[in-house]
Amino acid sequence: MAAAALCWALRAARQVLPSPCPRQVRSYYVDWRMLRDVKRRKMAYEYADERLRINAIRKNSILPKELQEAADKEIAALPRDSCPVRIRNRCVLTSRPRGVKRRWRLSRIVFRHFADHAQMSGVQRAMW
Amino acid sequence: KDKSAASKDSTPEGAAKRRGAGAETPKQQLLDIIGNMKVEVTYRKKLQQLKATEKKQAMNKLEGPDSEGSVPRGNTEDTQGGKPLNPELVKAASAVASSLPRNKKQTESELLAQLRRHEETTDKQKKGGTINIRNVISEMTVKRQSPAQRGARISSHISLHLDEDGQRERPKRSSALSMDSRRSLKVGKRLNIFTKASTEPEHALKTASSPTIWDLEFAKEVAAVTAQPPRNGFEEMIQWTKEGILWEYPIDNEVGMDDGAEFHEHIFLEEHLKGFPKEGPIRHFMELVVCGLSKNPYLSVKQKIEHIEWFQKYFEEKKELLQEI
Repeated sequence: MAAAALCWALRAARQVLPSPCPRQVRSYYVDWRMLRDVKRRKMAYEYADERLRINAIRKNSILPKELQEAADKEIAALPRDSCPVRIRNRCVLTSRPRGVKRRWRLSRIVFRHFADHAQMSGVQRAMW
Repeated sequence: KDKSAASKDSTPEGAAKRRGAGAETPKQQLLDIIGNMKVEVTYRKKLQQLKATEKKQAMNKLEGPDSEGSVPRGNTEDTQGGKPLNPELVKAASAVASSLPRNKKQTESELLAQLRRHEETTDKQKKGGTINIRNVISEMTVKRQSPAQRGARISSHISLHLDEDGQRERPKRSSALSMDSRRSLKVGKRLNIFTKASTEPEHALKTASSPTIWDLEFAKEVAAVTAQPPRNGFEEMIQWTKEGILWEYPIDNEVGMDDGAEFHEHIFLEEHLKGFPKEGPIRHFMELVVCGLSKNPYLSVKQKIEHIEWFQKYFEEKKELLQEI
């Protein structure tokens, strides 16, 4: 299941798979909001180490307060898109911001569509 | 001999400058060759047989103007009138020669001579010395025509509909012309009337040391033609595994992580704390950082060292601020 989801994610992520057999490849993101989310994820990945280290300086009681205030200013000066809080886990196929199950990265509607067509491995309608 | 001496005098600084840049790529290429030894053994043997036979002819024919590249001079020392070979290159050449099953001394001397010739021809080509290039080309074409032409020939046979692509036209045109006139176009001294630094020397230079662009294109074509779409689910899964979409089973939890460092390098990180003051809150803080890092199984040793160095740089920058306190 993870493999299929990963497959979908790769295709949505604009990668042209280097294989000879013609496969459907999507080369655009679903919408601009998804693109902005992608940019934010990339920036957050780039600045993750720095943010971690500056936060380590800020959030401790050993170092002097002046140092911590200087670190405060520094982290505020970093670009806004570099903080991980701005990332929204959108649906990978439809870019829906709400109702997204984390395990499959799909919105509830798409999930239900695939599950009903028996395209989700190991997913069954609940009956008890 | 006067011409060669003059060119040598004019190019010592140029050679010295380009030593740094030029010596990197041959070293890289040699290391690649060492790495690809198992695959290309037969090609290497053929090439060296060719070289052995041609060298004797070349020695007899082009004694005068091409004395720099001849074998007897090459056998003596590694340094040569202002153009010393990189000692690492020499070591790599001896490693390559020792790993080959044939006559080791001979292969080593041939490799060194080839290296020297390679560097000299790059220098000469950059300086634009036409006469020496001509000699080098005439010598080179006699030796290396078949491997260079082989790829072009075969790729022209398997010419897929790539005529629209401007990239394919060049080798097809040149190979067709040369094959029509039965090697009469390429043999002989070039007058260099129309093209200044023609692609011939680069072409000839790159064949032995690294695969040319045309070879890479040819390999890509072959791969595209031979790779059929998967016939069943197993082949599809194999293809996905090769591309990296599917993990390899049985699943290895440490796929990208194992960098071969011992446990003591991960845990005992106090040696990296040498740049920090011995006492004070900073030292206390860094000791806590190191303690946390030693318990972290997810970072590699390099990343941990980078972490500590970042803190060092940061505190260096904040030194003035800290003095006020």
